[in-house]
Amino acid sequence: MVFQEREVEADGFKIRYWEAGQGQPVVMLDSTGWRGTILHEALAEKYRVFSLELPGTGDSPVNMESKSMEYLAATAAKAAAGLTKERYTLIGTSFGANLAIWQAIQDPDLVEALILISPTAIQPQNAPASATAEDVHKMAFAHGENAGKHVALSPEVFAKESELAGRLVSDVESRLGDIHCPTLAVFGQEDRLVSQEAARVYREKIPNCNIALVYDAGHCIIGDRPEALLNTVIDYTEHWETFIIGHQTGLINP
Amino acid sequence: MKASMFAAMGYSKRHTFPSTWPISPVHADPATSVQSYREGMDECELAEEMGFDWLSFSEHHYSGRIPTGTPAVMASAVAERCRKITIAVLGHLLPLNNPVRVAEELALLDNLTNGRLVAGFLRGTPNEDQVYTMNPAEGRGRLLEGMDLILKALTEPHPFSWEGRYYQFRTVAVWPRPVQQPTPPVIVGTRSDDTIRYAAEHRLGLGVSFLPVEQTAAITDKYRAWCEEAGWTPGPDNIVYRGSIYVAETDGLAQEWFKGLQQSKPGPNIPMRRTVSEAINAARAGNVFDLRGVVAGSPEGDVVGNSLGINFLGGPDTVAKQIKEFHDRCGVGVIDMPFQQNKVDHEAVLKEIELFGRAVIPQLREF
Repeated sequence: MVFQEREVEADGFKIRYWEAGQGQPVVMLDSTGWRGTILHEALAEKYRVFSLELPGTGDSPVNMESKSMEYLAATAAKAAAGLTKERYTLIGTSFGANLAIWQAIQDPDLVEALILISPTAIQPQNAPASATAEDVHKMAFAHGENAGKHVALSPEVFAKESELAGRLVSDVESRLGDIHCPTLAVFGQEDRLVSQEAARVYREKIPNCNIALVYDAGHCIIGDRPEALLNTVIDYTEHWETFIIGHQTGLINP
Repeated sequence: MKASMFAAMGYSKRHTFPSTWPISPVHADPATSVQSYREGMDECELAEEMGFDWLSFSEHHYSGRIPTGTPAVMASAVAERCRKITIAVLGHLLPLNNPVRVAEELALLDNLTNGRLVAGFLRGTPNEDQVYTMNPAEGRGRLLEGMDLILKALTEPHPFSWEGRYYQFRTVAVWPRPVQQPTPPVIVGTRSDDTIRYAAEHRLGLGVSFLPVEQTAAITDKYRAWCEEAGWTPGPDNIVYRGSIYVAETDGLAQEWFKGLQQSKPGPNIPMRRTVSEAINAARAGNVFDLRGVVAGSPEGDVVGNSLGINFLGGPDTVAKQIKEFHDRCGVGVIDMPFQQNKVDHEAVLKEIELFGRAVIPQLREF
């Protein structure tokens, strides 16, 4: 499956995005460096997938215009609206998940289902201020060998994204009850960048929220346990809260 | 130091069993079986009366020697008779079981005993890899993941889904909650470095079985060092040693019994066909198994298995001294002993329990 790189305008930003597949739309707010994974490939087999590069992340220019998470989430929503007129499944990872939360709160009519992968909106365990891109990269994996298979952010991108994330901190916990679409929050059991307690907050505050814990995975679940993340996300995208119902056969010899 | 009786609940006519594993159920007479469990529970009652601190139960399969395939069932029956003693399930063989089911059993047992439960997690002996047809190569991975899942299931306050390597559960919400918070004490029975380290890092106890004192010390030294690395110091209840015992009024009487046992030439413990034994060990190690090579070169015969010695043998003072060695050199704080040995019938077991309680336990209290 080949993803086509394109551009869409929203709030004066020129936002790059990558598109592939046909079917119901899925909008992804990914972490830099984690596009074109097996999760994207698998989703594009069934859905029309848009992966957005948020203003101020990746190779986009420094973003000093977005003054709040709410503002940047509204920008992302406008960009998505420029790509599809249908309601969509919104999948956000890490900082992108925090934006996805705001997007679901502010634009409930657009977001059909919400999937939050390693969201850091609640009880983040921030890396030390002196941490380098390489330090944070290593912290994001449960296993050092997995960190070694992937490249850390460049110091420039890391500085740009850290400044944006640090500046746009906002209290979303009190607003989680305003999310009414089916929601899945996925956490790695070995996540060192988010408290293990955080999952409970999402479950308690979002009315229709499932929690998935991925064994032996750190913050970067797609890097540690890609198949497990894919399986969970694909099932939830397909079945929403009914993904708890087993469909695999136990029949051995008919 | 604490004393624990390993309640094996053996079938009373176990000395008539052939030297095989599994033991064919044709050897089980229901009336004898019922009587055997009653005798086993009588032994538990006497142990509590004589001042033992724990009663332990183990999951073992397909044999009348320790016929407690579902240890939680056995433990709950005994817990209703013995109302004060600690009930230790040492333990569940996690690779064989649904970890969520194990969590449910442990939580229920902790409620039924009002917080008297100690839980144990083990991989199991190689023969038990045959039970429920589990792939031996996956045993270690299943144990490690199973422990994580059980601890999460016992502590997580809301339903969650689990995306594991070996287990996938889309809804886990265990009832009841354990009485002991956050979980009952947990003992991990192991000799393997990765599992010892897991116990240390998760502040769990360690159980070692049947090894000589030097080998046990090598394991407990590692455990204690890794606990320190993890920022805590294990207490006496965190290190459990299970060893076989025969205690008599005098050293001479104990030696006489042991001599008789040796002369009767008991078969190996957990005997299996050589092909099956080697195939399991090869699978556990991830090696290719050459079936025909084993059959062709099998001079020792078709059935193999290790004979367990007796760890503690002698009169009360000698046995106390032997146990103290494990305490002093290995940091063992709980000694767990099966009194049901070969050639020791129910009446003799009762005598041993009485003797141990009267003449050994007071000595254990001194260290």
